[in-house]
Amino acid sequence: MRYRVSHTTTYSYDDDVTDSLGVAHLVPRELPWQAVSSYALHVDPTPGDVSHDVDFYGNTATYFQVTTPHRSLVVEGVSEVDVTTPYADAALLSRPWEYARPLVRPELSGAWLATDFALASALVEHTDEARAYAAESLTRGRPLGEAVTDLVHRIHTEFRYDEAATTVTSTVPEIFAERAGVCQDFAHLTLAFLRSHGLAARYVSGYLATEPPPGRERVIGADASHAWVAVWAGDDQWLAVDPTNDQWVGDRYVTVAWGRDYGDVPPVKGVIFSEAKRSTLLVSVDVAPLGESDASAVGTAGS
Amino acid sequence: MSALRDYAAALSQPALGDESERGRYDEVVGPDGSLRAAWKGLAEVAVGITAGDLHRVDGDIARFLADDGVTYARPGQGQGAWRLDPVPLVIDAPSWTPLETGLAQRAELLNALLVDLYGEQRLLADGIIPAAVVFAHAGFTRVVARPAAIDPRPLVLAATDLGRDAAGEWRVLGDRAEAPSGIGYAMENRRVISRVLPELYREAGLHRMEPYFWALRSALIQSAQGDLADPRVVVLSPGTHSETAYDQAFVASALGFPLVQGSDLVVRDGWVNLKVPGGGGGAGRLERVDVILRRVDAAWSDPLELRGDSQLGVAGLVEAVRRGRVRVVNGLGAGVLENPGLLPYLPAACEALLGEPLRLASVPTWWCGDPDGLGHVLDHLDRLAVRPIDGAADALDGLAVDRLRERLLDEPHRYVGQERLPLSQSPTWTPAGPVPRPLTLRTFTLRYGSAYRPLVGGLANVHGADGGRPVCAKDVWVLKAAPGDPDQGLSGVLPMTAARSTAVLVPRVLEDMFWFGRYAERVEDLLRLVIAAHALADDYRTRPRSTGGESLAVVMDGLHRLAGRRHDDLDEEFRSLLLDADRTGSVAHGLAALRDSLLGVRDQLSPDTWRAFGATDRAAEALQSSPHSHQIAESAGRMLTGILSLQGVTASMIRDPGWHVMGAGRALERATQVAHLLRATTTVRRGIDVDREVLNAVLAATESAVTHRRRYRGYVRPAGVLDLLLMDADNPRSVRFSLEATRDHLTRLPGSTGSSRPERLVEDLLADLDRTEVAALVAIGGVGRPNLEVFLDGFALQLGRLADAMAHLHFASGPAPRQLGAP
Repeated sequence: MRYRVSHTTTYSYDDDVTDSLGVAHLVPRELPWQAVSSYALHVDPTPGDVSHDVDFYGNTATYFQVTTPHRSLVVEGVSEVDVTTPYADAALLSRPWEYARPLVRPELSGAWLATDFALASALVEHTDEARAYAAESLTRGRPLGEAVTDLVHRIHTEFRYDEAATTVTSTVPEIFAERAGVCQDFAHLTLAFLRSHGLAARYVSGYLATEPPPGRERVIGADASHAWVAVWAGDDQWLAVDPTNDQWVGDRYVTVAWGRDYGDVPPVKGVIFSEAKRSTLLVSVDVAPLGESDASAVGTAGS
Repeated sequence: MSALRDYAAALSQPALGDESERGRYDEVVGPDGSLRAAWKGLAEVAVGITAGDLHRVDGDIARFLADDGVTYARPGQGQGAWRLDPVPLVIDAPSWTPLETGLAQRAELLNALLVDLYGEQRLLADGIIPAAVVFAHAGFTRVVARPAAIDPRPLVLAATDLGRDAAGEWRVLGDRAEAPSGIGYAMENRRVISRVLPELYREAGLHRMEPYFWALRSALIQSAQGDLADPRVVVLSPGTHSETAYDQAFVASALGFPLVQGSDLVVRDGWVNLKVPGGGGGAGRLERVDVILRRVDAAWSDPLELRGDSQLGVAGLVEAVRRGRVRVVNGLGAGVLENPGLLPYLPAACEALLGEPLRLASVPTWWCGDPDGLGHVLDHLDRLAVRPIDGAADALDGLAVDRLRERLLDEPHRYVGQERLPLSQSPTWTPAGPVPRPLTLRTFTLRYGSAYRPLVGGLANVHGADGGRPVCAKDVWVLKAAPGDPDQGLSGVLPMTAARSTAVLVPRVLEDMFWFGRYAERVEDLLRLVIAAHALADDYRTRPRSTGGESLAVVMDGLHRLAGRRHDDLDEEFRSLLLDADRTGSVAHGLAALRDSLLGVRDQLSPDTWRAFGATDRAAEALQSSPHSHQIAESAGRMLTGILSLQGVTASMIRDPGWHVMGAGRALERATQVAHLLRATTTVRRGIDVDREVLNAVLAATESAVTHRRRYRGYVRPAGVLDLLLMDADNPRSVRFSLEATRDHLTRLPGSTGSSRPERLVEDLLADLDRTEVAALVAIGGVGRPNLEVFLDGFALQLGRLADAMAHLHFASGPAPRQLGAP
């Protein structure tokens, strides 16, 4: 599938901001199953300083600084990507999940790199509760693919999608207590479930192309950024699954960046210098299919 | 008689009830009871030192340290006095040489390790160091682990802590690479010990430390990126409340580099700059910074890419580092080396990176992420110390064995088990005489030119009899092999020329200087008023008269307006006014605030500055320990002497904007205090006798009694006093004189244009004085002097506005950083 993705973040303030510094993760990754044919990042007002770099996890990170006084800051990323369904190595997925624990088997190929994603991170606490919940899916000797699919299914069934239930800083215990959240929360939850059993899993930030309800026009800008997880299967193989939509990640998923959790790869983060008392944030995302569309795909919710 | 002989004799006695001292290597006395080789050459002088000498020397040390204002904040407490033991740790050349070689190799290894961990990660890929040891450590800083951002020399100054094993061999306890502290304390220790034990010091033939500071300075200058003729180096401090604030300021001052805080720096176009107030008022000018000696932990260094809630860092610093536009020393991310989990793997890493065996052994350590290591630790929980790989080393101390075992099994990779070294012991002074106490040695290693050089010396930390956190420090004397050896083995280093830091007058510094002036004046004026009031009280007590009580009440009211009222008993109240730091407006409160503003600019002040506090502290102690009323006046007087000595210090300061802003602060405060005092004492009429007594006290408190007597021949009346204290352009205590001084200082500040708001306000105030007639002010209306009351109230208000306008124009550093999108 070919998509044109645009993601616009607008900050408005009630007083002048004299200095804004930001880091954006808005440029999709080049991957074996994803080709980026073009990308552009616009910041308004025009920054005096912009630079693109590849971060520790291989994502494109864009640094910018705006030093002209402004009351509104717009960061817009636009890209065109071709996506196919990621390849999943059936042999690795059918091994018992216990094989894919990098701290237990550091000698395995690729284990040392996966180690970073098997450890607790700032937003993913390994609680006893999380471990106990996941143990029901991660039964002894169960094939990795099956165990993960089951876990994802249970999350989808037993946790409610609710934008009002959590905030961007909600922790694993809070999400667990609410039994509800949004895609970011479900991703963090899944990470805690998998990592607390020694599996390596990363947080993936990106987009999911949605289909309008039958008979309606696609509403531009109604999409949202999305998040899911990828679990290490061995070597350099990762199985990407979407707990929000209870499915493996396919060709409707545009991968932007990955890290240990949301904190490594927020679409835009920054620091401002201002006396402003109030600020508002407006996000608009549009994932538009280009060329012939896959009419048979079932519409699913993002975020 | 001889303290050392007594110590040696006590050691040869069977240890009575003190298990911990058995089996320890003694730094001074050998197993056969004779002095160690290092002490043999000193024996003649050393043996002559008696317990009485040590007692005196211990007192001298405390006084010198107080006069130098040497402080250290113990965890969880405020700044307290630095404690230094009189008996140095002495190491002779043959013992030092292997240590020196080992430390140099270790720094070389740690640097190579940093380059690998933040670059290729070959050691992790090859399994020489388990990946989890590094990835699970809070110091691993991913934002600088990028292929494009490799710093070839991330480690410039390392510190290594050592302790002796039972055989007397030095073993590494741990490394400090994030922002090693202590070299300033080491230098201060040397200064003090060389003064209190001059004979021993001369006899010793030890390596002086100064050349090492010159080498450090030169290393920092040379670490600038590119080929800069005159790179700008700054020392970045987390502020005056940091544990080792003294050390930071000492280093900055000794190296001649400005001490700055995060809010003094700003990133523009990927370069780091100092905010220097310039012609354009608040905006000012930017001056590029090339090298930052960092004393802020990496996590707090950049709110953009590291901890977003940090107010100590510089937004954009990480990006500037990645682009190679500023050199941070040590490099961001060096904190990953402060990791006991690395210790078991260093021998293999040394072979892999340097192709040679590791020379200095570490204390035996097992990383629990390794199944064998975990097994060993679980089997020996009774004798091993269990520590997390990051955070406080004693985080798990006191945990029940079951809980400990649970923690280890839960996240084994987060912990190590370590042998407990017996450590060596050394005579340490206590009021009961010298006793053996365990010690550890902190060493420092600097990249100078193409190699690492350890400081020939160090900082010894003395622990309590049962180990635990350090209780005091010792100077470390490393003896020369031959008297002609160059100090520090450095013969080619050029001595430094600049002894004092080049002042950087960032807004924060100007503000601290302003408050220096204000608080110094405020405390002085308050002390004079307390002394005057106490004299009145004494007089009233010895000769009770009808008017005395009333006059005293008026003057006390002046004090209460400044500091509130706490006690009815006069002496209690005077003591409280002098001693209670928790009482806003008291002398102690003012002194604390004064010290706080001085600490912020410590690198720019003469070391003599701190003598003032040595004097006020001693005066306070004397007052606390004496119940007599006369001690109040005595101590207040000595405090005043201490504070007045600051005038001597400031007289020798360079006349830069910092000095002028201090002068403006002092003058403005004086005008304010005089106006306040007159308002409290002269606007109500209380009868001729009372008024006269009160006015006499006012003249005493404003140090104008002599002038007044000469001019008015002892005839005290309101008009004369007001003329002298408000209008007289020649009386340095008058409001007019103070305002003219404020104006003169203001003119010399950057940002003053001749028509800036503070300048206009001060002109308005002077014009107001010109328009005012004393005769009109003293006019009587009912029981009071209404004109005077209105005039003084309005004047005080305008003085407050002037201070605000100065703050707005000269000290505004802009808003603090906030996270984007935060409400």
